[in-house]
Amino acid sequence: MGEPLQGIPASLVAVDLREGAVELKVDPTLYPLDAVYGASFTFIDRCFVFLDRDGERIRVTLSAKDRTVGEDVLHALIGEFANELLACAWRAKITETNRATIEAVTMQAIGGAMGPPSLDELEDFDFSEEPFEDPLGIAQSWEDKYGKKGESAPADAKPKPTESDET
Amino acid sequence: MRELRFDKTLYEGTQVDAALEVFGRYGTFERAEEADAWIVRIESGSKARERRLAGEIGNYALGLTMKSRRGASS
Repeated sequence: MGEPLQGIPASLVAVDLREGAVELKVDPTLYPLDAVYGASFTFIDRCFVFLDRDGERIRVTLSAKDRTVGEDVLHALIGEFANELLACAWRAKITETNRATIEAVTMQAIGGAMGPPSLDELEDFDFSEEPFEDPLGIAQSWEDKYGKKGESAPADAKPKPTESDET
Repeated sequence: MRELRFDKTLYEGTQVDAALEVFGRYGTFERAEEADAWIVRIESGSKARERRLAGEIGNYALGLTMKSRRGASS
């Protein structure tokens, strides 16, 4: 395979019109193997997909099932493949980034499905944990902060100082 | 004769074997192993038939490899 395709760098794409095939060299540091597999899978019904190594790169060869296709068809095929490859790589990246969130949501869903804790489980629960820090007094109720309803607060009533006020 | 080279880092040998078994009745295959690849030589009457058979075997082996790796990772 040796002829370049118009509009695409010759170092990345080469076409063999006699075989009705086009090949793309993929940099695995930019496109992980899972993305290459994913993009290849979407083309299996339209053409023959073959993967190979070319040094550090992965060489993807798409052969049209009908060998007599023209250059324009091969150009469209490899262009669509490149777009699909990019989409698959981006999806893989998003999945990797959101893995912790997905796991947390799944665990919460599974935990919720397990139902409320039993009395025995509550009995074993450790309530001795220190209360969380609230230096701005956000968790304090209005009554704790300004006095109870009905009590006539002095005219010069001021909010009780919080830890942050003292510092 | 047509030769297919299945890189060991991209294809699983067991899946290549499974693909050859599925398409076994459409041609004769000669298998060989290199350090980094499995080699399959295909003979099937005409060049057009060999091209098609090689393509179908490649697609099948790729599909099985992906399915196998996806199952292993989940």
